[in-house]
Amino acid sequence: MGRRTVLRALSTLPLGAALAGCRARDRDESNVVVFRHPKLFGDPTALNVVLADFERASGVRVRREALPASSDEQHLFYAINLQARSREFDVLALDTIWTAEFAQAGWLREITHLLSVADRADFFPGALASVTWQGRIHALPWFADAGLLYWRKDLLAQHAMAPPRTWDELLAATRAVKTAQPGLHGFVWQGKQYEGLVCNALEFVWSHGGDLDAAHVREAIDGLAFMRALVTEGVSPAWVTTLTEESARVIFGRGDALFLRNWPYAWRLFEREGSMLRGRVGMSVLPHAPGEQSAGTLGGWQLGVNAFSQRSAVAEQLAAYLTAPSAQKALALAYGYSPPRRSLYADAEFAAAQPFLASLHGVLEAARPRPVSPHYVALSQTLQAQFSAVLTGVRSPQAALDRMLRTAAALERR
Amino acid sequence: MRSARREALLLLAPGGLLLVVVTALPMLLVLWLSFETRSVFRPPAFAGLDNYLRLAYDPRFWNALWNTVYFALVSVTLELVLGMAIALLVARAGRVRSLVYGAMLVPWAIPTVASARMWEWMYNAEFGVINSLLGAQINWLGDPLLALHAAIAMDVWKSTPFVALLLLAGLQSIPPDLYRAAAIDGARAWTTFRRITLPLLVPVILVAIVFRTIDALRVFDAVYVLTGGGPANGTETLSIYAYKALFQTLEFGYGSALAVAVLAITAAATIIYARLLRAGGQ
Repeated sequence: MGRRTVLRALSTLPLGAALAGCRARDRDESNVVVFRHPKLFGDPTALNVVLADFERASGVRVRREALPASSDEQHLFYAINLQARSREFDVLALDTIWTAEFAQAGWLREITHLLSVADRADFFPGALASVTWQGRIHALPWFADAGLLYWRKDLLAQHAMAPPRTWDELLAATRAVKTAQPGLHGFVWQGKQYEGLVCNALEFVWSHGGDLDAAHVREAIDGLAFMRALVTEGVSPAWVTTLTEESARVIFGRGDALFLRNWPYAWRLFEREGSMLRGRVGMSVLPHAPGEQSAGTLGGWQLGVNAFSQRSAVAEQLAAYLTAPSAQKALALAYGYSPPRRSLYADAEFAAAQPFLASLHGVLEAARPRPVSPHYVALSQTLQAQFSAVLTGVRSPQAALDRMLRTAAALERR
Repeated sequence: MRSARREALLLLAPGGLLLVVVTALPMLLVLWLSFETRSVFRPPAFAGLDNYLRLAYDPRFWNALWNTVYFALVSVTLELVLGMAIALLVARAGRVRSLVYGAMLVPWAIPTVASARMWEWMYNAEFGVINSLLGAQINWLGDPLLALHAAIAMDVWKSTPFVALLLLAGLQSIPPDLYRAAAIDGARAWTTFRRITLPLLVPVILVAIVFRTIDALRVFDAVYVLTGGGPANGTETLSIYAYKALFQTLEFGYGSALAVAVLAITAAATIIYARLLRAGGQ
């Protein structure tokens, strides 16, 4: 059997096809732009269609490659490759918390010029803040996420209570319902020592008018004291200190809790067929202290351009194209992720097809990014431990806040 | 004679080379890295003892060191006591012994990550089997004081069989004549244990302690899966801190210094035990 025959035989197998594909790709690599992104849950054809439109318009082929599954691995993947000045990918999807770090490290191309005046007005302020480092834009918002409050419509109606707008109202509603149903848990959220706790604790701090800086210490202490009081007063179960997004969602989804803090993804799971809470869940922005503003922590994905890319012009085009209203609308309709542009929330087709996403407008408008810092990952480790120490009563809010501010200052000097 | 020696060296060379490449080189590299400042923002630069100085003033390091040492001391002690009890029982088990062997090995054979997930569920405050059996609502993994002990309990469950097996092998190597002689002399069970079993088991006990201590001082996967180091860093061990510094915050210099600290502590423990072992052997 000659070499040719072997190759021909191989090419009938999927592996052979893949190899042949590789070789074909190698030949005109100059005309390919590589897009690294996390797995999108749902039918991949929607993204392929959007990318095919781009290929037709630009004459450039787009190859998309998946990131590892966990956030830690994704961060590590980018860090290892970008530190080695990898040119293997041109457009990269970034978690909101990495942009400043990658920008400071010189791994992201500055793309301020891609943002028109209209874009600036269109993107939600939190999303825009999270892509801005030292006054320059280093990525474009792709999807936006924010913490919000879910509640049991049926239980609140039974007790003639309105959905809470302030934390006091949430406490009052919990007490009222729990008096009648002592077995029910009040408010479940993410209290385990991990990134989720930072998101939750910052929401408590912000909604009391606080922030992680010297000018807002008093209000921040109020927010943290409130967080601790949720446990000591029995509004949240003691084991809220072990809960993550999924474990909290499961407890609420079983009908065991009155209130839940989670991300928008939980909605679909409560409303899907077979869910015991179908039609019984309400959702809104998180409550706030009297006279203060609600704030959910911003999450989501952004698109940046690899600073070492050899096809940066095309890469910029692709990043701009994927974050433009038309592509964001198509992807939101297909995957149900919320777009970070205000204009889409006024779009009739979008509102009709994705009523839940459309209802997130207010939540995303109020969303705030976690500290935009090149040292965010290190800062977060301290925040996680200190917030956890407050929540478990190991440290007073004042002492924990002192440590957080000291660490933040030390990181800025490093 | 000389050619035989040369041949021996030649035959040993591949194995030796492999050891150098997979063990010595990475270790030296980590040691080298620990003298550098190296992060994503800065090119590597020699920093002398800076990382170790930072270690000395880092409360998180001391907390992790305390957690690690406490974890190792308590878990190894419990494993030894329980392992001894089980070994003594099984030694008398007679015909069912092989069955007991197999059953004992199960916890030791399950991959740690899998058993840690299992224990995480068992410890679940709301749905966990432990609270359900106790009829209580104990916050095993969410209380800073309890969480480390919960991790210790899992380690004891996992590693006691290993200690028991080692001790069992030791027990079987004690000549039965000694026990017979003791019985004739009218020695009680406790006296026989203290005067015959224990002294003859000392070398095996020390080996068990060395193995278990080294493992316990490096503990990572069990605790990381159970708690991730929380709550309030109450279960953050040195290896977890080193992992977070190396693979999350990408502080390659400082993370390496932490890894070297783990190495130094395990090495110190091993040397102390090796001394004891030699003294015990004489």
